[in-house]
Amino acid sequence: MVPISKDRRLLGAVVVVGVAALVPAVVHDTFWLRVVTEAYMWIGLALGFDVLAGYTGYLNFGHQAFFGIGAYATALLMMRAHWPFPLALAAGGVVGGLAALLLGIPTLRLRGAYFAIATWAVARAVQQYALVATFTGGADGLRTTPYLNPQFFYYVMLGIVAATFFVLWFLLERAPFGLKLKAVREDQESAKALGLNPTHLKLKAFILSAVPAALCGGVFAWWVTFIDPDSTLGDLLSDQALVMVVFGGMGTLVGPVIGAVIIFAFKTLFWAYLSAYEVLYLIILGGVIALSVVFLPDGVLGMAFRRRARRAPEPGPESEPGPEPGSEPGPGPASVSAREKEA
Amino acid sequence: MAEPILQVERVSKVFGGLTAVNDISFSMQPGEILGLIGPNGAGKTTLFNVISGYYAPTRGRVFFQGRDVSGKPPYALAARGIGRTFQVVKPFAGLTVLENITIASFLKHPRRHQAEQAAWKVLEDTGLADRANKQAASLTLAGRKRLEISKALALEPSFLLLDEVVAGLNPTEVDRTIELILRLRDNGITILVVEHIMRVIMGISDRLVVLNFGQMIAEGKPAEVAANPGVVQAYLGEEHE
Repeated sequence: MVPISKDRRLLGAVVVVGVAALVPAVVHDTFWLRVVTEAYMWIGLALGFDVLAGYTGYLNFGHQAFFGIGAYATALLMMRAHWPFPLALAAGGVVGGLAALLLGIPTLRLRGAYFAIATWAVARAVQQYALVATFTGGADGLRTTPYLNPQFFYYVMLGIVAATFFVLWFLLERAPFGLKLKAVREDQESAKALGLNPTHLKLKAFILSAVPAALCGGVFAWWVTFIDPDSTLGDLLSDQALVMVVFGGMGTLVGPVIGAVIIFAFKTLFWAYLSAYEVLYLIILGGVIALSVVFLPDGVLGMAFRRRARRAPEPGPESEPGPEPGSEPGPGPASVSAREKEA
Repeated sequence: MAEPILQVERVSKVFGGLTAVNDISFSMQPGEILGLIGPNGAGKTTLFNVISGYYAPTRGRVFFQGRDVSGKPPYALAARGIGRTFQVVKPFAGLTVLENITIASFLKHPRRHQAEQAAWKVLEDTGLADRANKQAASLTLAGRKRLEISKALALEPSFLLLDEVVAGLNPTEVDRTIELILRLRDNGITILVVEHIMRVIMGISDRLVVLNFGQMIAEGKPAEVAANPGVVQAYLGEEHE
């Protein structure tokens, strides 16, 4: 269709990643490096969330479970089995993917709200289990051996998130897979008639959504050196990812990135200057989601597109110019006579 | 006579206590257009859904190209060459017309570029090419019905089930759709049509099957069926309004 413009956007993403790779050369302040690293983590979480929410049409309120599972798997393999970090991290991703497979088989049969409730409940159960189990350290959490190298974590997080973006871009925007997912999102019954197996497609999407979250969790576990059920399995993680995706623009890959950056910047500033009013943060987060659903149904990105469309002379979808004669619906003589026949 | 492409063998479909389709048998030859008619609620769409895999038959079997396909899921049947449309059209509303059809083209053309090219061919064939990049939601009813056929065609099927693709169209559009259906038949596609408009179904069908209250009450050439007193009664009888 328009491969050139899409390629140009990909080129833009490559440039952004290239610039990001140069940041540690300029920014030596560990605080700011930490902030940017965490921003990448949120981008990774939001991207994964959007695979299911935007492309497949399922809101997963248990997304944090994959982050937590990845974090715990990586930490446990490093601390108990003494695996090297890359191996433990990869294993964390695999465990997250397997968890998605197991959770997806029963829950992806459910529709809309029921899926949201089911995933939320399962994620709460996982959190409770991590609280009571002994191998997870319970409420005391787990410590990993500190490795005080902010640049290292900066690059690992950037690498994982950039890889996530490009893999998702290829699968969802380039390969047939993304279009097939959208077909399932739009109308599952009709998709079946066109040779698509919705269950398989949704399971693949679920795994594709979970693995980046698990990898981000794995990096998080070693980076912050301490994980507990609250920080890695709390539902605030999913709530924030949801706000980022909705605010940025669902069903796109750039939307979650923009949303994650804006919301995370707000969060950081809020905690830096207004931490005395922490209760306000959740209220504002709730307000943002309510307002963006009402006023920005396509997110910041969608609004930008609409502005551009309004300026361009091309008419919108409602004002179809000059429909060919005879293409208007309505009771023509044929359908009237049909009704008479029926009567 | 060649081997039938479709054989429906004593098929019944029961929902709870309601027998929607009862003990129906018929077969279709390759290249044939068979019209399925009957008053509202006669079980036409139910039978359609059984043949296309949306319902498993409660009793009986369906054979396609000699193989038992009863209870096989729709996507498996689509892969074997059965395309269908829906009476209540189901466009992927948020996607463009071209994307809608490309999705179906993936069945025979797994690569995106080839699938898009195949989709363009279908669009030109069905007269939607000028609206290829419009949102499916912006199409008029006539356009949506044509999109529905286009999607089924993009599967490159050998057997097509058309569920009321003419209903609701004006005469010009009706004629264009009839012409399209006949052209498809001439290209070797076997077609099962459900339609309410008698002018259409009588004109294009090689044979008719008539259902009433889930029973098959007549089968034969259009002229024979039209003269059948049981059929006349089913359509015009005093019980029916």
